Amino acid sequence: MTDTATHTTGEKARIGAPSISGFTEEGENLSPMNEAASPIGGAASKAHSHGGGAGIPDSSRAGRLTSYNVDDFPVLTGREEDFRFTPLKRMGGLHKNELVGVAPELVVTDANVSTLETVAMTDARVGSAGTPEDRISANAWKHAAEAKVVTIPANSTGEQVTLTYTGTSTEAAASHLVLIAEANSESVVVIDHVGSAVLAQNIEIDVREGAKLTVISLQAWDEHAIHAASHLAKVGKAAHLKHIAVTYGGDLVRLTPSAHFEGEGGEVELFGLYFADAGQHLEHRLFVDHATENCKSNVLYKGALQGKDAHTVWVGDVLIRKEAKGTNSYEANRNLVLTEGARADSVPNLEIETGLIDGAGHASTTGRFDDEHLFYLMSRGIDEKTARRLVVRGFLNEIVQQIRVPEIEERLAETIERELAATDS
Amino acid sequence: MTDQIAQDSTDAGVITEILEKNPELQGIGNYEYGWSDKNDAGANARRGINEDVVRNISELKSEPQWMLDMRLKGLKYFDRKPMPTWGADLSGIDFDNIKYFVRSTEKQATSWEDLPDDIKNTYDKLGIPEAEKQRLVSGVAAQYESEVVYHQLREDLEKQGVIFLDTDTALKEHEDIFKEYFGTIIPVGDNKFASLNTATWSGGSFVYVPKGVHVDIPLQAYFRINTENMGQFERTLIIADEDSYVHYIEGCTAPIYTSDSLHSAVVEIIVKKGARVRYTTIQNWSNNVYNLVTKRAVCEEGATMEWVDGNIGSKVTMKYPAVYLVGEHAKGETLSIAFAGAGQHQDTGSKMVHIAPNTSSKIVSKSVARNGGRSAYRGLVQVREGAKGARNSVECDALLVDQISRSDTYPYIDVREDDVTMGHEATVSRVSEEQLFYLMSRGMTEEEAMGMIVRGFVEPIARELPMEYAMELNRLIELQMEGSVG
Repeated sequence: MTDTATHTTGEKARIGAPSISGFTEEGENLSPMNEAASPIGGAASKAHSHGGGAGIPDSSRAGRLTSYNVDDFPVLTGREEDFRFTPLKRMGGLHKNELVGVAPELVVTDANVSTLETVAMTDARVGSAGTPEDRISANAWKHAAEAKVVTIPANSTGEQVTLTYTGTSTEAAASHLVLIAEANSESVVVIDHVGSAVLAQNIEIDVREGAKLTVISLQAWDEHAIHAASHLAKVGKAAHLKHIAVTYGGDLVRLTPSAHFEGEGGEVELFGLYFADAGQHLEHRLFVDHATENCKSNVLYKGALQGKDAHTVWVGDVLIRKEAKGTNSYEANRNLVLTEGARADSVPNLEIETGLIDGAGHASTTGRFDDEHLFYLMSRGIDEKTARRLVVRGFLNEIVQQIRVPEIEERLAETIERELAATDS
Repeated sequence: MTDQIAQDSTDAGVITEILEKNPELQGIGNYEYGWSDKNDAGANARRGINEDVVRNISELKSEPQWMLDMRLKGLKYFDRKPMPTWGADLSGIDFDNIKYFVRSTEKQATSWEDLPDDIKNTYDKLGIPEAEKQRLVSGVAAQYESEVVYHQLREDLEKQGVIFLDTDTALKEHEDIFKEYFGTIIPVGDNKFASLNTATWSGGSFVYVPKGVHVDIPLQAYFRINTENMGQFERTLIIADEDSYVHYIEGCTAPIYTSDSLHSAVVEIIVKKGARVRYTTIQNWSNNVYNLVTKRAVCEEGATMEWVDGNIGSKVTMKYPAVYLVGEHAKGETLSIAFAGAGQHQDTGSKMVHIAPNTSSKIVSKSVARNGGRSAYRGLVQVREGAKGARNSVECDALLVDQISRSDTYPYIDVREDDVTMGHEATVSRVSEEQLFYLMSRGMTEEEAMGMIVRGFVEPIARELPMEYAMELNRLIELQMEGSVG
């Protein structure tokens, strides 16, 4: 019994010692991403680990703060529900610094009837379609030197305009765009982002009564770009917004489209396609706010991931408020993980406050190649490499074909080919 | 807001009308376990929590030092941990007003006759001795307030080495095995309520099933809160050794009081290689109980854990039974059903964590919200690096019966491995006019039709229950649905 003392110490340490890997005495921490960035650190930083459901959202999306004033938002720690997947250290200071760098230059091409104006941030149209829903967006609002306003005149049809943002700076900058589709207009607006940038951006989208607007936003940045964009859409009575986000460039892209219905009979379609390579962080957080009767929303985002530490985040919040009777809503996210080491987070949230809905649902799948598809194609004499490409192309094509702008569809087809070629090498 | 008020008053009007036309309905649909016994121990028990209370509980139970240390550590974490900011509204809990320990009788009985009359009457009314007589269960534990007052296990099982004891006795009689597992699945500081349970736990079940033993008929535990403002903190530990099987069922009721009680249990389950455990809960607490429970199982190689979780009662329930799949080919399954009526918030779901390769999990959740109630599915599926070939599916369906109720879905999926297959599907529907019309054209009343639609909706889960529980569930649904038409 000479070893009694040491035995007791060993035993003491063992009693109640967690038997599941990754556990400490305080359970687990499911969001280690921002731990180091936390100002408190240590045990206190784990305060949000709730055991039974670590890091789960605030009670309701309806209670989320919105404000034009950046100081209304607490300083970000990375432990907030809507930033828990975002690596703040890689944000280039967009969430905390003065955004005084040179914003990417905007060039408008193919404008036929639409007009471009440069106005002060005090213009009445600025803020008419949305209010910032997070701190980065409010910070961009504060620092935007001016706003661009693109207006599609009432009752016009067939307009297809391209807005190209070309970035040349790596200093943190802010920019603001207001897109107005006047009553009963029909148009397609392509917003292209290329070059290098560290950019916090707000895009207000005002779809007025009876208007039909398609917005295609391409995040095709050079590899080191950092981009946080809020797309704030207001959808009027019987108006229709089709919003397509295509993200494959940049080191870190965080895009938060939100759509609010302002009148009966509105319809929103939110589509998205993302392709993340090694080291890239591509995040899309959507919010569809059903606050009026008889509106329809449909969401489909599809993503492919490959390479070490490729990370995609998709969060879709759908809120059907008490007054939104007759709502019809569906949202889905599908991810295809092509290689080892990639990570896809997918969270479809659905909150329904009334039983008088037409229907609501959501779905999320994350998987790898369907071996059966591959086998089928290979048994038809197609080699494995080609078969894999066909499967990925087929998977993403569902979104590509929604674009209906031939040049962009072609450009995307080429991009997908190029990305896939990178896998093969 | 005006809409809602108008709606509420219309509903009330319709219900009054139904009752006037059908006087026999009066009384039906009321909570039938709402009576309480006179209980001096409960009335005189001390309120609030501090180190003295914790030391006192430990001393009354003559516990070893290590358990007291653990309790004090739990208290420290409880003080430090914040209240959850998500889920249900917990602002109504007054920790200083709760009675943390109520000893209702000095001696544990092994025959119903030995129990004090008032306690025996309680269980007679609940039908527990009858079930035992009819051999519907292999063993029974009945917990009244803080401690288990009745305990019985079939002799043949005892001979095979099955241990089924209340947790306090188990600590005395099997300290070695107890110490090996206690607090290892749900650590002392896991969350505020698990910490509180660790500090103040009393009662609960301890089950050990030896290698290869199949307990073919369920073990049953029955939890009853009698005292107003009582806090019940039972602690359950189940260890299923290799290739064994056990089904554990628990039921819960409490009287109706004007101020609230708290039930905060911790359940830890260890399912060893090739074993299978099924844990069924039919929670029917009265509508003034906060039910905040942490349940977690760990599954070794080839083991299976099944949670069948029925939430019908309580004011607020937050409960997400979890399975950690740590061995290859381990399997986890949760069937969850929740009814949220007037004033109720059922925030339930499940958590599946894939740690080993080729593990699979499945979550099926069904919820019905009516009469202003709120139900939420909240789940997490995590696939950790290395869990190749993991498979998971989550299905959650919600049924809304009227326009003032609410249903939310918060599924979390976190995948850190590429070789996996995951899926989540949810639908929210309401009872359609067509469905009702069709059934009513076949001669059913509107209420019968509504009841049938709801029963059909929850049938996939009801059929997983032992027969008498499925019948009980159906009966509870009928009671829940009374007066819901309008």
